[in-house]
Amino acid sequence: MSTVPAALGSRRVRPLLSWRTRRLLNGYAYLVPAAVCLLGTVVVPIGKAIQLSLYNDVLYKPQDYHFVGLANYQHLAQDPVFWLTLWNSFVWVFGSVVLQFAAGFAAALLLHQAFLGRAVVRTVALLPWIIPGVVVGLIWEWLYQPNYGVINDLLVKAGWMHERVAWLSSPDLAMAAVVFANVWRGIPFFAIMLLAGLQAIPGELYEAARIDGAGVVDRFWHVTLPLLRPIIVVATATRIIWTFNYADLIFVMTSGGPANATQITSTYTLLQAYSNLDFGYAAALSVVLLLVMLAFTAAYLRVTHGVEETG
Amino acid sequence: MRARRIPANFAERMLGGPVLWTGLVGLTAFALGPFVWMLLTSLKNRQELYATPLEYLPRHVTFENYVEAWTSPLTPFSRFFLNSLWVCSVTMVATAVVSVLAGYAIARFRFAGRDALLLIFLATQMFPSVLLIAPLLTQWRALGLIDTYQALIYSNFSFTVPFTVWMMVGYFSSIPRELEESAMIDGCSQFGALCRVVLPLAAPGIAATAIFAFVVSWSELLFAISFTTQTNMRTLSAGLLYMVGQYEVQWGPLSAGVIMSTVPVAVLFTFLQRHLIHGLTAGAVKG
Repeated sequence: MSTVPAALGSRRVRPLLSWRTRRLLNGYAYLVPAAVCLLGTVVVPIGKAIQLSLYNDVLYKPQDYHFVGLANYQHLAQDPVFWLTLWNSFVWVFGSVVLQFAAGFAAALLLHQAFLGRAVVRTVALLPWIIPGVVVGLIWEWLYQPNYGVINDLLVKAGWMHERVAWLSSPDLAMAAVVFANVWRGIPFFAIMLLAGLQAIPGELYEAARIDGAGVVDRFWHVTLPLLRPIIVVATATRIIWTFNYADLIFVMTSGGPANATQITSTYTLLQAYSNLDFGYAAALSVVLLLVMLAFTAAYLRVTHGVEETG
Repeated sequence: MRARRIPANFAERMLGGPVLWTGLVGLTAFALGPFVWMLLTSLKNRQELYATPLEYLPRHVTFENYVEAWTSPLTPFSRFFLNSLWVCSVTMVATAVVSVLAGYAIARFRFAGRDALLLIFLATQMFPSVLLIAPLLTQWRALGLIDTYQALIYSNFSFTVPFTVWMMVGYFSSIPRELEESAMIDGCSQFGALCRVVLPLAAPGIAATAIFAFVVSWSELLFAISFTTQTNMRTLSAGLLYMVGQYEVQWGPLSAGVIMSTVPVAVLFTFLQRHLIHGLTAGAVKG
């Protein structure tokens, strides 16, 4: 109540703290809880990880805890498994994202059509994306199971295979098997994003193209694709980063085996911290993961900036 | 002209009819098939489950797998379920409060470092959680928080808060500033205007975002296995993994556990789907 006459009476006289400053302080106050959360669970731990990476820190050998400089990084550079995991990460990310994109795009085009029961089909089609990673891993482990798994059974019955295959314990097949499970999980993500993009394209554009004599294929190439470009870039980049970081599924299904055939960099980091309790080495791996992620994010921000300018 | 039109129309008719329907059936079957198989498995008894040749449908539908999973003393699924419920509910409420305040500040106040802050929130979403395991474990050990709900709840903030703040900024920006200004002229404080004017308008979006924080925490695995050692502190995800590790995999109770872990999030997701999709994609479509 008291601020009203003050504001009316003295329009030019400024109080001790200006209105602008008080408003700003007020604004910062709203940010304090979020800042505390992120400081405590992200910023400080990342600093701690960088520090840990310079120490020999194995949880069950506290007497050996000492500063080792860059020894963990030297170990990493000479660790053949680490280089293998980088290659596996590439295969995992590339295979997953390309297939998810292709199938997700097809799903989005289907779900964009008007048909009876569209809402139900949409919800069902999106389900694999929302369920816990452990659940996805266990469902597919059971589907791939050599003796009682339905995949082997169907393939043998269809005559495409002569005998049952141990999908997850065969070094040649394990990566393809986990990628396929990940594709199942990731299709809905692309479907949602691209569907939203499709719905934002004005119908008149298709109408105009049709009047100009453009067929279905022409309309797809010259109307749909160019207008979806920004969302394709955003969705793909987000997915690449997310897939590179994602460890749950492989950890549940194979733990990186057999013989590191499915070991990607993030599961390798997880195993060093969780199973070997070698925090120093795990931290060094984390820092490398972080650097790869940052490099990719920087490149991505550059590209999306370009997209915004042209679009 | 005519020669070009006929194949186009033929293609359109094919795409609108048989191709569309085949695609939809295929898509639904592919998305749902693995769930259906798991559900069928959970309803079979032991003989049917491990029968050769494979029996696709349960001949005698039984719920014994559910009862066994729920009441087993070795892997107490009811306890896992309650743990998850508590951890995710607290995470959800706390995340909502924190991100409403932060989202409102970022949407309404022009302060130094605002853009940098938004970028930090965006970048944090892309951090791998494996990166945080070793340092957070060290931190929770030092604070004596191993095997507590707090450790799991605090750790969940690392991925829920950045995401929900980002969504809240979007909701608040879409509400006209004039509404709060008129409330403030009528004597509300800034905080009063937020509570009485802005929150009711943004409520559906906030609810959807909060529920999404719940769903994401429900899936969390790595923190749950790293920061708990006692069986009765495990969440559902960690508990399911523990069931696999305990002895030879018991696919009967395990499949029942899988179904029980899936149903709550599937139901929640069905309710919030429309809101969520709008919120998730609004920024991206505009960008």
